[in-house]
Amino acid sequence: MSYRVLIVDDSPAMRAFVRRVLQLSGIELAECFEASNGEEALSLLRTQPVDAILTDINMPVVDGEEFLLRLSRDELLSSIPVTVISTDATKNRMARMFSLGARGYIAKPFRPEELREELERTMGVSND
Amino acid sequence: MFFINAVEEPLEAPESSCSHIAVKLAFEGDPPGSLTLRTTRAVGRSIAADFLGDDAAALSERQVEEIVCELANMICGAVLSRVESRAVFRLGSPQVLPADDPATALSGRAADAGTAPAGTTVRLAEFGGGGLTVTMHMEGPACTVVEKFAF
Repeated sequence: MSYRVLIVDDSPAMRAFVRRVLQLSGIELAECFEASNGEEALSLLRTQPVDAILTDINMPVVDGEEFLLRLSRDELLSSIPVTVISTDATKNRMARMFSLGARGYIAKPFRPEELREELERTMGVSND
Repeated sequence: MFFINAVEEPLEAPESSCSHIAVKLAFEGDPPGSLTLRTTRAVGRSIAADFLGDDAAALSERQVEEIVCELANMICGAVLSRVESRAVFRLGSPQVLPADDPATALSGRAADAGTAPAGTTVRLAEFGGGGLTVTMHMEGPACTVVEKFAF
């Protein structure tokens, strides 16, 4: 099975980096979309269905927290599993993001297999 | 994601600020502070190439700067995640310092010369053909004794 994944990060280099790690993880990608902030991501999601979202927190316009909040209030989009990718791995931050609707959390730096495991877990993919 | 080796000895002083890149990242929290990462542009390019899986020569200066900013972000986040504080730290956006900024011109040797103010920690690392200096400044103790033993 292959997946449609959306990467949300304001840094083009980081989006390229996450895309590369996704490819290295061995996860099959049907399509990989990119958005530079939450606003852009929400617009893209109106026309492009995705299986999973990977998002940064600190972004201009609509940051990761606001993005999660808006997703959770949207009937059509609230079921998409979101994994936060952040350098901030404090318990408080993680709890905050989970309370806003994140289903996964990966602290940078991370290995490709960690990304794959977390993505598959949030999407409910079983490897049994 | 990539690997560098920390070294004990200060690295040789570089030539000019033009050949270097320095990035500063301020953070809010208890305590607030900042992290400055400084390295040669050649090392920054090499790190960026490793991150992106591209040929170093093919990368633009902007890509190199973005990756060095992200590296500073990662180091700062990793350090603060280990601080025994109940505060939520809020990291600002890493900013590339201008070439004439003292931090950009500061050599690895000077950064390690023991002149750093209280609350400042300097670490040097060797990466390929150059050095990388990380300076972390916190405007106060990271945690109280009570907090430390509460965990």
